[in-house]
Amino acid sequence: MVKRYIVLCFILLSVLSARSNIYERNCVKCHKTQAVTLDKLFYRYLLKYSSERAVKKALYDYLKHPSFFKTIMPKGYINRYGIKLPSKLSDKDLKKAIDVYWDKYKVFGKLKVKK
Amino acid sequence: MSVSKNLDIRLLRSEKKSLVAFLSLYLFFSIIILFFIVFLYYSFQKDLMLQKKREYLQEYSKDFVVKLKRLHRNFSKTHIYPTDKNIRTAIYDSDKVKIFSLLKRKPDLKKVIYKTGDQIQFIKEPESYYLGAKYIIFEMEDDGIWFKKFIKNILMFGFPFFIIIMIMGYFLMRLFLKPMRDTVVLLDRFIKDTTHELNTPVSAIMANIETIDKNKLEPKTLRKIERIDIAARTISNIYQDLTYLVLNHRVQTNDERMDISKLLKDRCEYFSIIAKSKKIEFILDIQDGVYLDIDKNKMIKLIDNLISNAIKYNKIKGKIKIVLREGSIIVEDTGIGISEDKLNEIFDRYKRFNTSSGGFGIGLNIVWMIAKEYNLKIKVDSKVGKYTKVEIRW
Repeated sequence: MVKRYIVLCFILLSVLSARSNIYERNCVKCHKTQAVTLDKLFYRYLLKYSSERAVKKALYDYLKHPSFFKTIMPKGYINRYGIKLPSKLSDKDLKKAIDVYWDKYKVFGKLKVKK
Repeated sequence: MSVSKNLDIRLLRSEKKSLVAFLSLYLFFSIIILFFIVFLYYSFQKDLMLQKKREYLQEYSKDFVVKLKRLHRNFSKTHIYPTDKNIRTAIYDSDKVKIFSLLKRKPDLKKVIYKTGDQIQFIKEPESYYLGAKYIIFEMEDDGIWFKKFIKNILMFGFPFFIIIMIMGYFLMRLFLKPMRDTVVLLDRFIKDTTHELNTPVSAIMANIETIDKNKLEPKTLRKIERIDIAARTISNIYQDLTYLVLNHRVQTNDERMDISKLLKDRCEYFSIIAKSKKIEFILDIQDGVYLDIDKNKMIKLIDNLISNAIKYNKIKGKIKIVLREGSIIVEDTGIGISEDKLNEIFDRYKRFNTSSGGFGIGLNIVWMIAKEYNLKIKVDSKVGKYTKVEIRW
């Protein structure tokens, strides 16, 4: 019985770590060297798209087909750094990476009242 | 002719029905209109209050949006949501999913400002979705001052308005009753005039018959004289009824201790000639020494009408049973009877159930009026084609 639980926990951790790895390997790796950090980018998306569904859709659309008209970054930034290349990740992996990104920076469940 | 002058006239059942229907309809529509006005006034007052609160909350929301913007910018450093002692807030995203809420009641995101329970909620959509918030909801307690003012005004103006409507209803009812009353008054006036003209000739006939020495008459002539006497007594009886009806208000009542037993025997004697013409037999069961405090003429009218009805609606060779006991008189005939559904209407003035017999339909109305005056109870029991039994109790 205990063994079964250990195996289950192991599988779960492996899945989570695999998801996390997609995000870490394909997103964080490049963005940590860039001028705009991932968290700032997230709150820009949130400011424009509001809901989880809308933010994830906008991220997916942009990463699949980046364009000047879809970007949320200011004009000056784009002029300097240009538009990124389309993501080579599969749809499934890209969605996984976006899910991890959402979970990491989402506002839900984080707000609290000063006591 | 004013209505109040004839208030003792019993309204017919159909008149009562119309009157009740009219009053119900009038009341119903008056109340509907009143409720409509109250509802409009309530909505107006509520909107006025919400407008005032909206201005206040609109002003407050500007500060709150600034705080939310600040939190959005520093979200990686702090997660402390801005709060206020009197105003609770919540933020919802563009898919109407709750991000964070301190509200007491669930908001309706389709509205802008509204009252829910005892809370007032105001919804603002900021220009940018700080922390993803498309909707910011502000909630504050409704102090209810506007509602107290509303109730006060309703009591101050609504109540007098209701009274005015009721007074108008009363005058409308009088207008409604007027044609009915006028008909009754017209009939009364006609009877009064006719009665006056009847008095002299009837008195002359009766006085002359009494002076005739019947022993000297031949049997054939005697029978003729008796028939004239019966006819004269019948007319006299009708005359008495009509006089009573018309002059009832003006006749002075003189109550005295009446020997009902003696009076009843006298009246039976008086009617015996008329009864004899229809070969009707009186069965008397009169207890001696029954007394009642009543006006003599009124008691005579009461007894006369009961007996004359019992004769009028009886069959040839029928019987009239009269029972007098302490506290009750019973007059029972073996006549045509009255159907059960008409029993309630027999005391209505000018109501006649058998047009083949003479009369104006006022006899039982007089009985009813006298009974009402002296608080006597009338009980009528009848079976069509068998009998009618009238009992007067005191």
